[in-house]
Amino acid sequence: MASQEEENVTEVQEPAPGDSCGPLEDEPATVTRKRPEAKLPSDVTSAEQQVPKDVEKAGLLWEKDSDPSAISPTGWGYLGSWGKSLMSTASATVATVGQGISTAIEKAETSLGIPSPSELTVDRQGNPEAETSDAAKENESSSPISGAFGVFSSITTAVQNTGKSVLSGGLDALEFIGKKTMDVIAEGDPGFKKTKGLMNRNSTLSQILREAKEKEEQQISDMVSVDSEKKAHYGLFFDDFLGLSHLEALELLSQESEAKVTCIVSALPGKELESLKPELEQLKEAFSLVEFEEEEEEEEREGTKDFAHELAGLFAELHIATKPEKVVRARKAAYEWMAGLNSESEQEDKHGETTVVQSDHRTSVEDIHSFAIRSQAELTAYSIEMFHKTAALVLYCEKQDATALERAKALSQITILMCKELSSLTKQITTHLTAAGVKEKSDVLNPLITTVFLEASNSASYIQDAFQLLLPVLQLSHVQACAEPAEQ
Amino acid sequence: MAYAYLFKYIIIGDTGVGKSCLLLQFTDKRFQPVHDLTIGVEFGARMITIDGKQIKLQIWDTAGQESFRSITRSYYRGAAGALLVYDITRRDTFNHLTTWLEDARQHSNSNMVIMLIGNKSDLESRREVKKEEGEAFAREHGLIFMETSAKTASNVEEAFINTAKEIYEKIQEGVFDINNEANGIKIGPQHAATNASLSGSQGGHTSGGCC
Repeated sequence: MASQEEENVTEVQEPAPGDSCGPLEDEPATVTRKRPEAKLPSDVTSAEQQVPKDVEKAGLLWEKDSDPSAISPTGWGYLGSWGKSLMSTASATVATVGQGISTAIEKAETSLGIPSPSELTVDRQGNPEAETSDAAKENESSSPISGAFGVFSSITTAVQNTGKSVLSGGLDALEFIGKKTMDVIAEGDPGFKKTKGLMNRNSTLSQILREAKEKEEQQISDMVSVDSEKKAHYGLFFDDFLGLSHLEALELLSQESEAKVTCIVSALPGKELESLKPELEQLKEAFSLVEFEEEEEEEEREGTKDFAHELAGLFAELHIATKPEKVVRARKAAYEWMAGLNSESEQEDKHGETTVVQSDHRTSVEDIHSFAIRSQAELTAYSIEMFHKTAALVLYCEKQDATALERAKALSQITILMCKELSSLTKQITTHLTAAGVKEKSDVLNPLITTVFLEASNSASYIQDAFQLLLPVLQLSHVQACAEPAEQ
Repeated sequence: MAYAYLFKYIIIGDTGVGKSCLLLQFTDKRFQPVHDLTIGVEFGARMITIDGKQIKLQIWDTAGQESFRSITRSYYRGAAGALLVYDITRRDTFNHLTTWLEDARQHSNSNMVIMLIGNKSDLESRREVKKEEGEAFAREHGLIFMETSAKTASNVEEAFINTAKEIYEKIQEGVFDINNEANGIKIGPQHAATNASLSGSQGGHTSGGCC
């Protein structure tokens, strides 16, 4: 259970100043995590709030001293690549916003105490015992959870493996930060746990999400203080928008389809199987395109096309009897809300103060933050609902108006589109957030901004995971479509 | 939001018997005479109180159309309770009960509590299935039985809550292994219902509140 990954993180963090344990001390996921020095408005989000600075830092460093091609892709899951682009986005936005924030980030960087690559290597070599004991501690503290849920151990294994491959591949600072960020995300955020769990196939996505949500509920119910921030819980919003239910249902369809495909394929005579195999393989390939395409196109596609129009176009290619209305409506509502913010600030401008948006803005940063998390959860939940409905209708239609491969390609594009949309929505919201919070202390504002980016990254990975669940469904529809002419 | 238990329900039965309307009446306390056909499954959730414990019902409202049958079967898995609905004004929906029951028994766990519901009891003048017939069918197959009206809300609460009570009793008797999620029961976060800050969820669909 001892993981190099975790050891390493613990090791780095230990000497950092301000290492105090908060009310979540008995929370295994956060036990080794250094809490920020900032006085946070609420402890509810402490787990999330620890994450931000690391992430921002990763984003900044990424821009400053990295050549993207130098990154070994092995350490990053597909979440990684999404998260990465989001993080660079994050830093870009943050950098343009104002000095206050970048100073804060620098402060955060310093307080984090990430070592230089050489230090790191020395550290690792010189202190094996400390590692072991930390690992043991880690092990102890996380065992109750794995006992209770039985999934976290699999996550840890995934973490271990990632850690190993990264370490053995040569440890430069960037890899370290990337890995660390992943680790931070993994600890602070349910989505990443889910991703790893999914990759391991030992537990189901919705199960992990549900657990994460229950944990959030638990944290909330533990809180006595009333604070607006406790409202902004992604998992709870996600469940309220029925994302979890649709995900669970999609999983059931996916599992059932997978079983049926296996059953049908194993009963096929050798010749037919040979001809079917490359087709199924092709279908599978259509599902792996997502991660490659997003980066190349990132810049050029932005804002050039109307989202609703593009989504409708792609959806039409599926030839199924439903429309992604909820997604479009939710997105529209989000933009309208933000437009309302714009007019607020314009009004203030007219009243003559300054051109800078004032912090006595009618909508508080907490409101915007809560809105951001809510919108992300809503769009994600509806995207998953859209995928679930697609699965149901693909299985339902006896006569297929589009081939499975065509649908796979369209769905892959939809996935990309949704993730991009989430990313650009997030960018916009954080711009508002920074504008509204210009007079806030950076240690208040920063965690807020970064949780928004973090949840954007989670959202993208939920959507991509849900997309992957469609593969068996399309395989089944393909296999059945092939079988039909043969029967006649 | 915090609950002691979460029960998964499914609602099954022929198309047009009022499954979605029952759900809407239960979760939102309203009636919508014209309803879109359900694609696959829709969801609803509501909190109820039994024996002083908060219980969250997570309800899967399945499509009744025959052509969706192979899909809806996938959704049966892991349900703790089922509402098997027929329409008292349509004899054929009653005649199909045996098929539905076989389906449900085959694709879900054996302890699942099944409530037989004769819906549309407000349409007495068009009744084709006598209440006694429903009762007899339920007795024969070991189901609980009720006649409801999603339109007037008559017995709707009772149908959902009595099913939950039955499940709850089975838990108390140790019939259900609550640690096995395949039974459709989940234990909620601890410290349930201890303070007021639980209202952290703004539910569009989760219309909270106790009964």
